[in-house]
Amino acid sequence: MLSRESSNRLLPTFITLLVVGVLLMTIDVRLEGKGVVGVLRSGTQSIVAPLQEAASLVVNPVADMFDSLTNVASLREQNISLRAELAEAQAELVGVQDRLALLALLEQLYGLDTADPSLGQTVANVIGKVESAFVVDKGTNDGVVVGQPVIDTNGYVVGTVRTVTSGSATIVPITTGRNGITVLVNVQVGTLTPQVNTSEMRLLIGDAREPVLEGDRVVTSAGSISYPAGLPVGVVLHDAAPESHSLTASVEPYVNTDTLRIVVILAWPPDPVTAATDDAGDVEETTTTTTDASTTTTSTLENEG
Amino acid sequence: MRGRSAVIVVLLFVVAVVVQTTLFAQINLVTPDLVLLLVIILCLTKIRPEAILAIAFTSGLVVDLLGPSALGLRAVVYTTVAYIGIRTRDRADIGRVAVALWAGVLTLIGVILLMLIGTLFGQSSLLGENTLSRLILVPLANLAIAAAVAPLVVRLVDRDKTAFRYP
Repeated sequence: MLSRESSNRLLPTFITLLVVGVLLMTIDVRLEGKGVVGVLRSGTQSIVAPLQEAASLVVNPVADMFDSLTNVASLREQNISLRAELAEAQAELVGVQDRLALLALLEQLYGLDTADPSLGQTVANVIGKVESAFVVDKGTNDGVVVGQPVIDTNGYVVGTVRTVTSGSATIVPITTGRNGITVLVNVQVGTLTPQVNTSEMRLLIGDAREPVLEGDRVVTSAGSISYPAGLPVGVVLHDAAPESHSLTASVEPYVNTDTLRIVVILAWPPDPVTAATDDAGDVEETTTTTTDASTTTTSTLENEG
Repeated sequence: MRGRSAVIVVLLFVVAVVVQTTLFAQINLVTPDLVLLLVIILCLTKIRPEAILAIAFTSGLVVDLLGPSALGLRAVVYTTVAYIGIRTRDRADIGRVAVALWAGVLTLIGVILLMLIGTLFGQSSLLGENTLSRLILVPLANLAIAAAVAPLVVRLVDRDKTAFRYP
């Protein structure tokens, strides 16, 4: 048996640390992760992110191999069905290219202005995960700012950027975010909120006029301050009818955060400074720093997701 | 705690945080809480009890700062687990199986506390989707890892090759 020091100061030290911990929690909850706590988070993340990035170079192939071994039985079938899907997608792509060519011709004929409506996108690799949040290898150096929406490679909503450093960012998925997302189901606008201990989300439509049906698509609404309109979020799981003008239903998000390796961070709103002046109520804090290469704007939006 | 032991402890925690947030974040079947396990194993070393509490608190704060949950949540949980660990560590000294079971029970207490305090402070959804399965999987994973590495870590930190050598 080992001989160890015993101490009379153990209990007072324990109680002191507990009190400090509870105080910190209270302050953080009150500040909603901003202020000093936000700076501390960014500082810690900027120290750990390079280590995570280096580790992920080794870890990702190991994790992929482990995944393959556990799913080896279904891989063959999955391969066949994916090949069939790919063939269909390629056929569709040819059709879309024909239509695009026709559209371009018509625009040319009628002299239409074809401003590029696409948003700036930053593709990032997932290098780590802490609890439900995950860390990606792109930060302010790549134009990523706090509050920007994140989607996966299929275009499904993933979440929003919570903290950002020069070379990394932490993303909180919609399934665990503190607040809700304003969404559209058919023509009705509602709020989608995460639930405890499940990936399913709760849809609440306050002024419901018609039922929602199983399989109805849920997309982001134009009323959302954190996401551009029309991004697919999930699908309604069961039929639900309005009760006293309100309606609740369960929604299964399309995105599976457990298997995410690559995400796309959207530069939205396209111009956060203009958005801040247009709608000061939605934006609480905005700072702009200019570097040689680019102008980086850091804004803390009233977080929805 | 001497300088060299302190360096070893810091290095162990850095490795634990990095492995936890990269490797085990991607493998859903095996979900240990390495940082909590390291705190528990440190209770078996000759490090001063107050220093163990301080290490537990600091490591919890670091994990809090990296994650989305409230700052101080894991710090409080890890400190409480370390306190219980220090008070009960004599029960774990009898053998490798006892160490593993003791670490598993302490991890279970940690996971329950994390859920309870997290819920009290409105953090329950931030702790993840499968909180109930974590109640079983995390203690089991920590139990298995503790059986394998606890004596080694104690010997490394205490620089005592005779520590935890069972007949």
